Amino acid sequence: MLAFEEQVVSDLVEDPNGGLVVLSSGFPLASLAAALLLQLHLHPPPGDATGGGCLLVLSAPDPLKARIRRRLQDRLQVHDVPPDLPAQQRASLYASGAALFLSPRALAADLLTSRLHPSHVRALLLLSAHRSSDTSSDAFIARLLRQRRLLPVYAFSDRPHAMVAGFSKAERAMKSLYIRRLHLWPRFHVLAAADLERAPPDVVDVRVPMTPAMRGIQAAVLAAMDACLKELRRTNKVDVEDLTVDKGLFKSFDEIVRRQLDPIWHTLGKKTKQLVADLRTLRKLLDYLVRYDAVTYLKYLDTLRVSEGVRSVWILADSSHKIFELAKRRVYQVVRADGMRVSTDNKGTPTKKMKVVHNSTGKGKENENEGSTADKHNTQKVIADVGIVLDEVLEEAPKWKVLRELLQEIAEEQMKGDRENAQDEDESGIVLVTCKDELTCFQLQECISKDPHKVMREEWEKYLLGKAELHGLQKKNKKKSEQPKGFGVLDGEVQMGPNESAGPVSISKLETNALLAAASELRNITKEADVKDGSNVSCTKRELVKGKAKGKSKKTTEKRQGSNRKNRNNEGNDNDQGTVVEAEGQLGKTDEHADIDASKVSTDDDFMLASTSGGACNYSSDFRDSTEVQKFESSIRRENEAFESLIRQKSLMMIPVDQDGRCIGPTLANEPDPLLCQNSITRKAGGKKAPEKEMQVIVDMREFMSSLPNVLHQKGIRIVPVTLEVGDYVLSPLICVERKSIADLFQSFASGRLYNQVEIMARYYKIPVLLIEFSQDKSFSFQSASEIGDDVSPTNIISKLSLLVLHFPRLRIVWSRSLHATAEIFVSLKTNQDEPDEKKAIRVGVPSEDGIVEDDVRAENYNTSAIEFLRRLPGVTDSNYRAIMDGCNSLAELALLPVEELAGLVGSQKGARTLKEFLDAKCPTML
Amino acid sequence: APVAQTQSKNAILVSHRQRGNPLLKHIRNARWAFADVVPDYVLGQSSCALYLSIRYHLLHPDYLYYRIRELQKNFRLRVILCHIDVEDVVKPLHEITRTALLHDCTLLCGWSLEECGRYLETIKVYENKPADNIREHMDNDYLSRLTHALTSIRHVNKTDVVTLGSSFGSLSQVMNASLEELARCPGIGERKVKRLYDTFHEPFKRVS
Repeated sequence: MLAFEEQVVSDLVEDPNGGLVVLSSGFPLASLAAALLLQLHLHPPPGDATGGGCLLVLSAPDPLKARIRRRLQDRLQVHDVPPDLPAQQRASLYASGAALFLSPRALAADLLTSRLHPSHVRALLLLSAHRSSDTSSDAFIARLLRQRRLLPVYAFSDRPHAMVAGFSKAERAMKSLYIRRLHLWPRFHVLAAADLERAPPDVVDVRVPMTPAMRGIQAAVLAAMDACLKELRRTNKVDVEDLTVDKGLFKSFDEIVRRQLDPIWHTLGKKTKQLVADLRTLRKLLDYLVRYDAVTYLKYLDTLRVSEGVRSVWILADSSHKIFELAKRRVYQVVRADGMRVSTDNKGTPTKKMKVVHNSTGKGKENENEGSTADKHNTQKVIADVGIVLDEVLEEAPKWKVLRELLQEIAEEQMKGDRENAQDEDESGIVLVTCKDELTCFQLQECISKDPHKVMREEWEKYLLGKAELHGLQKKNKKKSEQPKGFGVLDGEVQMGPNESAGPVSISKLETNALLAAASELRNITKEADVKDGSNVSCTKRELVKGKAKGKSKKTTEKRQGSNRKNRNNEGNDNDQGTVVEAEGQLGKTDEHADIDASKVSTDDDFMLASTSGGACNYSSDFRDSTEVQKFESSIRRENEAFESLIRQKSLMMIPVDQDGRCIGPTLANEPDPLLCQNSITRKAGGKKAPEKEMQVIVDMREFMSSLPNVLHQKGIRIVPVTLEVGDYVLSPLICVERKSIADLFQSFASGRLYNQVEIMARYYKIPVLLIEFSQDKSFSFQSASEIGDDVSPTNIISKLSLLVLHFPRLRIVWSRSLHATAEIFVSLKTNQDEPDEKKAIRVGVPSEDGIVEDDVRAENYNTSAIEFLRRLPGVTDSNYRAIMDGCNSLAELALLPVEELAGLVGSQKGARTLKEFLDAKCPTML
Repeated sequence: APVAQTQSKNAILVSHRQRGNPLLKHIRNARWAFADVVPDYVLGQSSCALYLSIRYHLLHPDYLYYRIRELQKNFRLRVILCHIDVEDVVKPLHEITRTALLHDCTLLCGWSLEECGRYLETIKVYENKPADNIREHMDNDYLSRLTHALTSIRHVNKTDVVTLGSSFGSLSQVMNASLEELARCPGIGERKVKRLYDTFHEPFKRVS
């Protein structure tokens, strides 16, 4: 462990209240957490004979869990407690006093049901403190624990900029977590910097120029963003002074706009909302531009056009046309048979004509097959008839080339090195390539093992086949009038050539034909090559494995498991196996990067820490003049600014403590207001309080995602967590509440779910209540005046609510301004009502035939998202979905069942056929 | 008299108390007429509404209770139409909510006179309308059904549905796709891949 890490841990353990640690992003959070766990485990507090109790680690994402485990090795076992673990097993884990990874939802429920007593807990570790606020579930748990006894809460955050978002966020987070001390560990902290600089790595920064087409796309995307911003400015709803395209490059950009608009979001017109969504889409396009290869990018664009085409504003702008054109030109272009280019204005694009390559590969594959060559001539002619030829460009991603060159270079250097000190046996240079996501990972793998051209070709072939399939479908659908509206759009051509049907033979039509021809040609080839290809692939795979086993001079380690901070490309070159294992331990913190962001630097830092002995050589490549570089630089700047602000805040911070130095925690903002009884108090024996009975509310398990249970608990109400089939909250034997946030309300009106929920609630409870919950920081209204319109429109929320009210005259509606207001309303509704009965509430609405109502919770035992999915399939109804679940294991299995067996489960031949047809229906390939 | 009766069937009956209420200007999609009725508005054979502005409630906190008591049990649907015309609503709205709930009234809130008027119109116009509009329904074309099903999985959006559909060919193939195949789809990140895969492959019942 490094000096600064030791310092962090020892600082933390000092205060019995725990502390909040804010780190620069990329600092070894996992190793710190591991060290802290170990410290707590090995040195139980003096005077505690029992040896402590459990160490709880809340909501750690999977990759982080893995890293913590690797760091701890055998010294301390950390058990995972998935929310679906049966209650008994959970209880025994709690009793064992081990270190546990938990989800806040399950933990809150267990604490409330006393399955876990706070006295069995040693310490609470939170690994993403930037998410904590006084209504968050973290805070709820901290309060549940701290109410009974003093125990330390250790919170970490490696997102300094998230810690400064909002008004004195750090301070409020600390209060709500009962923490007194803030420890700041920026990159420039003396100790940390000393550790980092002990062995500064040798970083070679390779700047890759973007291809002209890419530059063009980037410029066009930026132009489109600018246009969107201008539009947004015109609405006068946003303060766009500091919104420039420059800022648009950073992650927080759309968040800034959203935050500004949130208070009035529901009053905004459709167009403004669409603009905000468009900005996000455009930012994504910019990001994908440097990440995806040309074909994948084009495919993504096509998909976008299908799914967004009708609504988006940007897609109709000039610059978006340019985006599509250039993206297409990176893949193919259309040329007249006589060689003239059909499309205009691409003089500047230096495109390698891949035609030659195409022919040669084609030959390579087919040279022994005369028949297919003849075939090919035929198709060529067909294309010629149309008068147009498809010219493949298939621009290779620039970074691929750089990567190959680097690999080459490393291999050469390795050879040299090997010659020099040949006696050193176990010196196997390992090249670690890190990349950002799995897609790039697959592609790079293929690029390295095969020819990159081939990879591009494969993508291209897939693309063409997809296109062809769509048109095949269309032809089948001969009846023009019947042609579903969707297909025009799905075709992806509708925007480009609106005069398609009117004009003679438009270019886009020719283009489509050419694409189709190419595809059909391809299909012939692939059919024959299929078998061969299959064996090829397995061959290369085997090779790869072999290479690894031998541990020869080069080895490519690819990181599969998650961690979004993986950067694409790269490799470094290390001198001994040990270091690399170490590096792997850190999840392949690595040496050469292409996509950079702040966490990458961190990655470097991490790596350096790990390999202080080995002289690692880092390569990092990024695009010159691209947004990538700017992004990187500004993220560093932002981090430093965040820390400066935190340091300032720390000097002014006030955390109230009691006499023993305990942190008092958040002061309850809204003390229960003796609302209506203000007057009566004076009449009742001088305001003497009646003995308070403890109120209780039964809360559905799924509601623990929201903050309402937390706030109710703050009000002093006992929360009984169970799984409810009907409603979200049961206040009394008569009152049942369905809670809807505004977004939920609109959505569940649209899906019809609300109607069902209210219907069933009205069936079982005398007073069914719909709680419409507005959010404190958003405006208290449904819609802007302009949205009301002149006529009664069936789509308006007013109409839907009115209809609901007409059909359920017994339904009571509660309009709540905020969480706290809701809690108060609950309290006042409960006065004069009996306490609800937990056992009865669970049984409500559960069909009696599967009355396995145990003490245990049902939702934990079910794959709820799968059930939701199942119930949305055609042919599946409220009455048969249980039978389907009984009859087959999972959705994947269901998809494979033959129709006869389905009929048994669904209960009717017709239903089974509907379901089967839907499952197997050919998706219209829209690309 | 019979003329008056047919008229009264198709029109909102407005109590004379409401004379001068600017709200009346905004009732344009339904006919209305003054009549001698107990509630402020009679919206149908079994539905009625009381209008209450919060500003008025703050001045006369008991008003609402007495008006409700007058209604007796003559209507199935008793709406309290609350016009939110003050900034600080929490306390008065709490009181109104409580009163409404304890006395079997349905509370509807409008933020402007137009909105309040629209509620009255709509309830009148929709008097005999079936609930189809808010019940589960679906566009019958394939893509929207597919979208409906797939978007039940958290974070999956419409673009992803198109991507999935076109890369795998059919829903059953999507459901049987491997982690790796899912990860190859552009725009579908790690978390979505896992969520999709788990939904399809985890058994319905985790504990047998």
